[in-house]
Order: sequence, then C-alpha cells, then structure tokens
Amino acid sequence: MTDALARIHAAFSDAGVTGWLHALDIDSGAQLDAGADQPVCTASVHKLCVLVTLHEQAAAGLLDLTEQVECPPEGRTPGPTGTAAMLDAARLSLRDLAYLMMAVSDNAAADLLLRRVGLDAVNATTARLGLARTRAVHSFGDMLATMKEDAGPDGARALTDPHVITRLRALDPARTNRSTPRDMTRLLGAVWRDEACTPEHGAAVRRILGLQVWPHRLASGFPFDDVHVAGKTGSLPTLRNEVGVVEYPDGGRYAVAVFTRTAQTAATLPAADAVIGTAARIAVDALRAEALRTR
Amino acid sequence: MAQPPLSQRIQRLERELGVRLFERTSRQVRITEAGRLLLAQAREVLARSESFLATARRVRDGETGLLRAALPPDLSGETVAALLSDFGRRHSGLELELHELSTAQQLDRLAAHELDVGVVHHPCDVTGLELGPVLRRELGVLLPRRARAAALEEVPPAALSGHDLILFPRAAAPALYDDLLTTCARAGFTPAAVRHGQGASFVRGLVLSAGAVALCPRDALPLSAGDGDPEVVWRPLSGGAPALRHSAAWLRGRGNAAVHAFAEAATHALRTTAGATPDAPPRPLHLRPASEYWL
Repeated sequence: MTDALARIHAAFSDAGVTGWLHALDIDSGAQLDAGADQPVCTASVHKLCVLVTLHEQAAAGLLDLTEQVECPPEGRTPGPTGTAAMLDAARLSLRDLAYLMMAVSDNAAADLLLRRVGLDAVNATTARLGLARTRAVHSFGDMLATMKEDAGPDGARALTDPHVITRLRALDPARTNRSTPRDMTRLLGAVWRDEACTPEHGAAVRRILGLQVWPHRLASGFPFDDVHVAGKTGSLPTLRNEVGVVEYPDGGRYAVAVFTRTAQTAATLPAADAVIGTAARIAVDALRAEALRTR
Repeated sequence: MAQPPLSQRIQRLERELGVRLFERTSRQVRITEAGRLLLAQAREVLARSESFLATARRVRDGETGLLRAALPPDLSGETVAALLSDFGRRHSGLELELHELSTAQQLDRLAAHELDVGVVHHPCDVTGLELGPVLRRELGVLLPRRARAAALEEVPPAALSGHDLILFPRAAAPALYDDLLTTCARAGFTPAAVRHGQGASFVRGLVLSAGAVALCPRDALPLSAGDGDPEVVWRPLSGGAPALRHSAAWLRGRGNAAVHAFAEAATHALRTTAGATPDAPPRPLHLRPASEYWL
C-alpha cells in the first residue's frame, strides 16, 4: 500500500497536479487513503448528491420521476452541454433531466432538479448518510455567478490569469459546495450496497451513473472491455475531479474519489484529466492485490 | 465617563484586588494610602502596555523584526542588488534574511510559514496566495557559435531542431518546465533530449561539449557569454517563443508593510534591470464541453 501511495503521488506530480484520493473496496471495506480527508470543492460532482436526493424523494412518494418539467430557454443556468446549451424550449421528465445532469453534466438540468428537491433536502440527504463534511451552499447557477463576478469584465479569458485564480470564491472549499474524497466514496458505497435508496431506486441511480459520456478521466485508467466504470466528473478552472465505481467481472467493486488541482491555469490539459484514471487504477490494483493476498 | 459606570468599575477593581482604593463619604471621595501605593505601579503597567502594543504595531508594519524572503536562481546579480538597495531605502531597520529558492521550494516554505515573501515563476499553484503584478521576461537562447542558427540575428525556435535543450530540473518548477517544452514544441522545436543543468559554467560546458542549447533571458546571461565569448553566443528568440513570468507572492492575510515593500522593490528591480514587461494579455480561450463551466 505504501508503494501504491508513492506511485499515486508520483503520477500526480508527473501530470502537474496536486491530488487527493480515497479508494474503498465496497465489500471488504479495505481502503487506500491519499489525502482522503482533504476539504475539496465538489463542483459538478455535487450533482451526484442531487441525484440521490431526487431518488430518495421519489421513494418517499414526494415526487414522480416521470413528472414533466418545462425547460424554457429564459433564465437557464449556463453550460456547454445538454439543455444548458440548447436554444429552444423543452419539456422533459424529472428522470430524463437527471440523465442529462449526470451523462453530460447539464447545469441547467441540475438547477431545475435542485429547484424541485431543494438545497436543504440535498444537505439533509448527505447528512443522513453520514457525510459530515459534505455541504451544498449554492445552486450551480449561483456558483457560476460568483465566478463571473470574480472574473470581472474580461469574462472566461480572465480565468487563465493567476490573480483571478487567487480570488475565485468557487475555488475555496470554505465558500462553495464542498466535500472530502472519503465522504464521496462513502456515498458511492451506500449507493452500490442499496443503503442510500431502495434497491429499485439504487438501480436507477447506478444506471444513470454508468451513462456518463466522458472517457478522459476515471474511465481512461481502466482500458478493459469487461470492467464497468460509472462516475461523475466535476471541473472548474484549475480543478478536475471524478468520483465513481469500478466493477470487475470477478465481483470486485471499488469506489474511488479523485480531486485534483493544477498549477497551470489552462483549460485544456489532457494529462491532468488522464491522471485521475491513472491514480484510480493504481489504487484499485493495490486493493485487488491485497484482497488476493488475504484470500 | 458618566459617574455610575466609573464607580462600578472602581468597586469591581477593589473587589478583584481585595484592597480599598478610595474612601467614600457622602460629600467627597479620597484616595486611600493603599490606593496611592498602587497608583504609581498602575501608571508604569499602563505605560509598558502602551509600548508593548506599539512594538506589535511596528512589527506588523514591518518596521522592526525580520523579513524572510526568497528569490529564484535565475535573476541577475544586478537585479538582486537593485532590489536590495531599494528595499533597504524603504526599510532600513529591518533584518532581511534572503534565500535563493526554486518556485516549488518557495511554495512549500510559504505554506509552512517559514517564508514571508518570495518571487515565484508562473504557472504555479497559487492556492492561498496573494500576488504582486505578474511580469514577463522574454527568453533568448545560448548556443554554440558554430551552430547554424548562431548566424541569425533572431532565432525562431524551429531553427534549433537537432539540438538538445538544457533546462533546470523539473522539480524546481514543474508547471513552468512543462510549459516551456510545450511552447517550444508548438513553435517547431522538439529537442531530441532534455539535459538538466542550472549553474552558468555547467550550462556553458554543456553548450560547448554537447552542442546543446539553453533558454536564458538576456539580463541573466552568464558574464562569459557576452559578445566576448569566442565559443558561446546569445540570440533573442522570435516567433511564439516561450517567456518567463514572475510575481511576488505571499500567504493570503500575511502581507504587512515589509512584505509589500519587498514585493514592490522586486517588481521595480525586475522592470528596471531585467527588462521585465507587464504580462501579455490572455490568449483566446476556446472552452470545450468537458470543461463543464461557462460564463
């Protein structure tokens, strides 16, 4: 395990990132801690908490997942994907909005769902599951609004300026939606063990997490057709995160949470994306090796 | 002070000390012998507390005490001298403990509160820092006089093809190291090998023996590599060449008058002796959908 930790830190450093990771064998409870209790900005990873809350409320009969929601183009939360990027009015069910929120990180869909369930309910869900250091303090639109305000008149271009990076509230875990790697693997473990929702809703949550389209982070570390990867990314200037579950054909399943921060302010840094997969793979290999040794 | 609060305070003090300080009759209040004895000492205590607070104020304003500062190894002697004499004029009473440290070392020591202010290379992880203005120093190239590119007045990076590149060890400033290699490659120069070296004579030796080239700002030329050197020449780079970007940096909330004076002296010295110019405006930014944010 110490060898794996050293290799994880070396991988982070080679990729030009500072990273924090927690990996958990969902069934044995074995774990690997590379800064698991670091307070981190969740960014879009918090959409996972919204998804679990939505299904919790559905299970409680507070809402119907097939309920139709109007998505007018006015006042949409901005974003480069899904309904956030679409131009015309749309009408979708709650569960299809949830699909867009998780598959392509649709910010507008996430805020429509958040409005439906309520920020307090999201925090109540994470508290109920024992995620003591996880908290949502604002919607995704409000988070982007702080960035717009902090970036100033130059807009997105200013986000490569180191001065602007030092003053973005969205990059300070004390002032934005936050968690820790350990809290996130705990949440994923609960979802995969059907402790977070009923088995029926757990299966729906797992289906949606398995439909995420991004191949560049966690999934990139597991180039195996017989290994299933489900996850949710989160990104902000200098931040790249993903939390997810990796399932092997022998039944081994591992929750991994990786949060990184780059020194580079550039938006396009494929090596920083890929190291999330590399580090997760080192962690999962170590957990599997240990399980084989003790079997 | 209104009478009742004053007498209440006196009574509280008397209770605390267990000593009667004033004799009170219906018509007058007279200090007791015990009160007279304590009064002299009370005045002393107050005066010393004033001077205690004044010292704290002077330390806070950087007028006394010690400033622990650092500079990167690539500044010229002239720049260091200009900085020191400028800073000395601003803060003659202050002891300056100056270290030569790489960006990575400075960031570690700032975080550990072992350093008050430094001059770092960008890009670097600016989490928790405040920065002075970011300045840019254009890079040139040191190359063997016999190299074909030495015949050019300005060398496009592509003309360096075939040479190895001499660079500082990556650990000193990993993001800058990666940035320099990427920028060179984008401008047409991908060195066959990167050789690590920093000291002026070692670098000159590599240039001579291995036909390698080194990036170097004009102001930090080794003394020997002026026009007088028969074997090694310096040429400005052109066309998308990389540059060094610096700024003063200190921990957020720990900037006092001395820190600011050092930052200003460093900025001034870089401008006047190293030909540093304001940072270039940000380049166009094409955010890709996987960025997940949009302003």
